[in-house]
Amino acid sequence: MNPTIELNGLEVQLGGRTVLHSLTGVLKSRAIGLLGPNGAGKSTLINTLLGFHAPCKGSVRVLGLDSHANGKELRSLVGYMPENDAFISKVSGVRFVRYMAEISGLAPEQAMERAHEAFVYVGLGEARYRPVGTYSLGMKQLAKLAQAIAHGPKVLILDEPTNGMDPPARKRLIELIREIREAGDICLLLSSHLLRDVEETCDEVLILRNGQIASICNLVEERRANRKFLELETIGAEATFTSTLEGLGCECAVFTNGRIKVVMPDSVEIREVFKVAADRGVQIRRMNHRRDSLEDIFLNAMEQTGVPDGRI
Amino acid sequence: MAVYKRRYAPYIGSLTPEWSRFFVLTRYAFAELFKSRFFVILLILGLVPSLFFACYIFIANSKTVQMLLPMGPTDLFSVDARYFTIMVIVQTQVAFLLNCWVGPVLIAGDLTNGALPLFLSRPFSRTDYVLGKLSVLVLLLSAVTWAPCLLLFSLQAGLARNGWIWSHLWMVVPIVLCSAIWILTLSLISLAVSAWVKLRIVATGVIFIAFFVPAGLGEMFNSIMGTYWGRLLNFSDMFRLILAQGFREKSASGILGPIRWNEIPVTAAWGVLILLCLLSLVVLNARLRAREVVRG
Repeated sequence: MNPTIELNGLEVQLGGRTVLHSLTGVLKSRAIGLLGPNGAGKSTLINTLLGFHAPCKGSVRVLGLDSHANGKELRSLVGYMPENDAFISKVSGVRFVRYMAEISGLAPEQAMERAHEAFVYVGLGEARYRPVGTYSLGMKQLAKLAQAIAHGPKVLILDEPTNGMDPPARKRLIELIREIREAGDICLLLSSHLLRDVEETCDEVLILRNGQIASICNLVEERRANRKFLELETIGAEATFTSTLEGLGCECAVFTNGRIKVVMPDSVEIREVFKVAADRGVQIRRMNHRRDSLEDIFLNAMEQTGVPDGRI
Repeated sequence: MAVYKRRYAPYIGSLTPEWSRFFVLTRYAFAELFKSRFFVILLILGLVPSLFFACYIFIANSKTVQMLLPMGPTDLFSVDARYFTIMVIVQTQVAFLLNCWVGPVLIAGDLTNGALPLFLSRPFSRTDYVLGKLSVLVLLLSAVTWAPCLLLFSLQAGLARNGWIWSHLWMVVPIVLCSAIWILTLSLISLAVSAWVKLRIVATGVIFIAFFVPAGLGEMFNSIMGTYWGRLLNFSDMFRLILAQGFREKSASGILGPIRWNEIPVTAAWGVLILLCLLSLVVLNARLRAREVVRG
């Protein structure tokens, strides 16, 4: 089976400036998140995948198809939801989606049927006969999603899909994206500034920084590793407490004022930590329990590549 | 993805041929155009001159009607190359006005609302896009130029009999060819303006400026330099020059105004119109991008 995205020394120059520097990597998951600070090259990468920009060196393949050499063939598999406003203002929502589906090659009758289905599916059924120009920002996002899925693509590219959406609408959209991912034989590429969006919908993450790959992380494997972190504030015999925990397979880091960070393996439950503390006469005054989140992975990638605060 | 099921399902039906998809744009553009009452009135008015030309043919071929006229039966009404030359000129003027109304909105709307990436992220090229938009103008302007001319040619052929059609069949070529070059020039210029200027009223103004200001400058150049080459900037006259040659007009008076037949070579006229088309294509190529690249 072909990898979803294959980057082979991809270099892209825009206006005489190199925006993507020799990107090399393979992304095999069906749901890929694209992360990076502003100006990292996320949109340029998406535009290159779509054939809007030609690589000056190297290549990028999506499902085994070269974005440049097999551009038309590749675009026939793609559904694209752009970040910015993109619509035809005077036509009704359903007509707009039908139009786009016909451009993708659906016959008028099928396009009309799929447009209605897509509109109802994204939750805009009641507004489908209103001109798209009168939609709110959130509704426009949903209309863009509807036009991206109406022709049944094999690859769905979503650029900042939750921009301008209120929390319930965002939640609904994330659910939709997850449903789409799980329902069909479809690959997903989601670019977002919101780590949570990517974390909730993607299996693999490509983190870009300054046009270079900062990290490629398989979230499924990370989740499988299921590393559990505890942040403790303790009073008492710290040394014996930590050595006992290490005996159980935990990794411990001791800081000042009784603060201890513990990485727990799968086999150890939290109640065993309490038991050890009770046995050693250690008081646990505060405990934070969290898993290694995408935020950690992202910040780690940014630190490794020299961005002090990991701004996005 | 049935409505009642409310779940995503991939599309498994058949697809239309890729070569035919540009016509989707044309179809949707026409649907939008015909929603406008003003456009429909303009189109109908554009065909009114053809009715007068049809009446002329009817009178020319009907001795009964001629007898009703004050001068009685006469050879004054002749349907020949001059008749069709004038008809093509009148109808191409109508086409110009129609083009000024329709052309400016074709691309500007898509650019304003950022719809271009939606088209170009599909198996649909920029050429397909331009072809789709161009077809709108080509079909529309054809409907008021060579199509009525050919209809009237058929009408005359039917009424005249006596082998008129065979002796005048050559005129079909200049009717279609000259109309086609003018339609193409007008369409490409107005698409280029539409891709450049987003406001309809401004775009319409720019189209007028593109035709009338160079003509004025050309006349100034002629006056100052004592030459006729400034006429190259009068695109309408260049079209008429080609038309006059196509209809084998020995004298171009009445068609070309003050210009004399052999002052400017017809090849130069062709060159000007082809250059205009190429310039328009360069503008379209520069403006129709899925993503704008800022240099620097």
